[in-house]
Amino acid sequence: MNTTVVAQLQRQFQDYIVSLYQQGFLDNQFSELRKLQDEGTPDFVSEVVFLFFDDCSKLINTMSTSLEQPDNVDFKQLDSGVHQLKGSSSSVGAKRVKNVCISFKECCDVQNREGCLRCLQQVDYEYKMLKTKLQELFNLEQQILQAGGTIPQVDIS
Amino acid sequence: MELRSTDDGRHEKFPVGMRVLAVDDNPTCLRKLEELLLRCKYHVTKTMESKKALEMLRENSNMFDLVISDVEMPDTDGFKLLEIGLEMDLPVIMLSAHSDYDSVMKGIIHGACDYLVKPVGLKELQNIWHHVVKKNIKSYAKNIGPSRQLLPPSESDLVPRASKKRKEKVNDSGDEDESDRDEDDGEGSEQDGDESGTRKKPRVVWSQELHQKFVSAVQQLGLDKAVPKKILDLMSIEGLTRENVASHLQKYRLYLKKIDEGQQQNMTPDAFGTRDSSYFQMAQLDGLRDFTATRQIPSSGLLSRSHLTKLQPPMYSSINLQGMNSSSFIQQGHHQNSSNSANPFGTYHTTLSPRIQNVNLFQRTSSPLETLQFPRSKSYIGDFKGIGDRAIGGSFLDSCMPFGSSSTSLPSASTNTLMLQANYTQPLHITSDGNQPCIEGNQSNSASPNISFQGLSRFPSHSWQGNLNTTRFPPSSLPLNPAFLPDQVTCAGNNLGDCTSLVSAGNPGGEIQCEPQLLGGFMQNMNPLDGQKWEQQNCTMLNNTFGNIEYPLPADNMVFRDNNAIRSKGLDESLMNPIDNNQEYVGKATTMLDPEMKSGKPENDNQHDVFDDIMNEMMKQEENNGMVSVATRFGFDSFPPP
Repeated sequence: MNTTVVAQLQRQFQDYIVSLYQQGFLDNQFSELRKLQDEGTPDFVSEVVFLFFDDCSKLINTMSTSLEQPDNVDFKQLDSGVHQLKGSSSSVGAKRVKNVCISFKECCDVQNREGCLRCLQQVDYEYKMLKTKLQELFNLEQQILQAGGTIPQVDIS
Repeated sequence: MELRSTDDGRHEKFPVGMRVLAVDDNPTCLRKLEELLLRCKYHVTKTMESKKALEMLRENSNMFDLVISDVEMPDTDGFKLLEIGLEMDLPVIMLSAHSDYDSVMKGIIHGACDYLVKPVGLKELQNIWHHVVKKNIKSYAKNIGPSRQLLPPSESDLVPRASKKRKEKVNDSGDEDESDRDEDDGEGSEQDGDESGTRKKPRVVWSQELHQKFVSAVQQLGLDKAVPKKILDLMSIEGLTRENVASHLQKYRLYLKKIDEGQQQNMTPDAFGTRDSSYFQMAQLDGLRDFTATRQIPSSGLLSRSHLTKLQPPMYSSINLQGMNSSSFIQQGHHQNSSNSANPFGTYHTTLSPRIQNVNLFQRTSSPLETLQFPRSKSYIGDFKGIGDRAIGGSFLDSCMPFGSSSTSLPSASTNTLMLQANYTQPLHITSDGNQPCIEGNQSNSASPNISFQGLSRFPSHSWQGNLNTTRFPPSSLPLNPAFLPDQVTCAGNNLGDCTSLVSAGNPGGEIQCEPQLLGGFMQNMNPLDGQKWEQQNCTMLNNTFGNIEYPLPADNMVFRDNNAIRSKGLDESLMNPIDNNQEYVGKATTMLDPEMKSGKPENDNQHDVFDDIMNEMMKQEENNGMVSVATRFGFDSFPPP
């Protein structure tokens, strides 16, 4: 095992994850998720996170359909979708996504189709962005593990 | 704490392995929740469909210790799950992304043990086992039967009281023994004790009116379709929660079941068979009607369940009325005209149970009457609402049966018994006939129920009266219905002896003069033995007394009728209870009675149990709050364990 390499990777990992927090992509719920991962559940975080992304894509599709017809927007369904999205994003710590959901809900409440459309686009953007970022993080993790090292616990204060 | 095996087969102490049912239609959240719960070492069953969850719950009520569920699920209502969980006496924790006041309030009002806002953290979940323990504690606490306090009379339908939740739900797992012993149903009794429930709701007192509304609502919806929410809406009582209704509904259903079962039961082949008892009850009801001008005994669908067809009012009256000597049975305590409630059976102040011990006293003495005893009947006739009335009547009458003491004049032996019994169970109010004097014994507690004796004035026989004529009750003696004692009173023990002597005094046609001071106001009522006067007095008292009954007696109360003997312990207790000035006597009386009681019918010993069983059953799975248990109301909690 190349300790230098491991150390470097670990450092890289640490910096990266901290930056994600700092940029508001992630919040402490993500840390909570990471805490639940251990030797018994080594893939827990990625499992949940990918469930989330899956969720996002489905919900976004549904909501997109709801918003399609300008005259016939099912705001109720929209609201339900936003609620779901908000729930799951907050559970995994997808902070930005969650924030968009808050605005999204407000638009739904006042039945602002335009606003909803914008929010929908934003949600889509944010979740895809997060997906990319986390993918990167998982890659780093894999590299560390492959280099024989352990994934550092990062304390986000 | 029970040991449970964890997934890997280890046996660990609770809360390890606590079985949680997790429901959330959001896969991300569900997975996370599952992991969190596993991290807490709980055993987790998860599902995204609440339908599936409901199925699992219904399939086996013992499958889970706790349910944690999302509130907003598109396909189903999280509250439905909550309802089911509550009915099964399971703690249900609500989860939601909504943290606004209204949502949280809604969840709590509907009876959720707790309301967690997503995202849920590990710390929050690590403590959820508390809810399971709390529920268990509640059931244990119920069984311990703390306070004897009874609800003071109240005129409002809903009398919220901060009181210990008692016996709201008996935990399935192993409280049975305790719950059997304790008759306290947690309702209707004021308890200052600790609130062990997580929901500190004021207790709901199910008054007659309230229950009536409930019953109407249920009938309107149809028993099968009556769900707490709808009932709640129909009732539209402010302050009443769905949970209260659910709890009450459960009891009601159990009660109905009992009636059905009871009616199918083989009644003891007493003079009054099943029919008779049913009839009796109905008669009682009728009697009540007659007696209580002011109050209508509501008939409801329930009523129809009873053997209405078997009613034979005339007979009833005769039974009722005869042989009751106004002075004869005296309830301990002295309840002056406490209130003016119209309906004697309307409300029970307190539980008479302790007082009822008196009944047993006479029981033994009434050998000839034993045959007249009403069969032990579990079937409660008629309207649940009216149960209280009937129950009183019924039990009253039944209890009188054993009394049967008065040989002669007692076709009404039953009445005597009744009187006594009534005391035993609840405020007795026999109102078969307006003329009957009512003897009301007031239990020590505030609104002690009074035993009303009907037909006392009708005491047809001279001999009886003669017997009782003794001038005064010996100071130390419990003025247990001497009237009932036949010539040959066979009370054992000192005090009884006193009574006996009273009875056998053989004063010809004299009136029974009860020493007023013995029992305070009550005794005073006894004084004017001439029927009329006494009647008036007592009836008023009765009315007052009963006005306070807040909860109809459950069918179970009727059980008392069957049980002639009150367990000695119970007797002790009751005797000891309220009568301050008679404490001494009471104690003695109790002792005296013991031997007699024991020699009573075999069922006697089980009387308490029988009742308890029924009540307990009824109370089981009771959702927690607010349900006033009848038993409690009637001071069953004071009824001592066997």
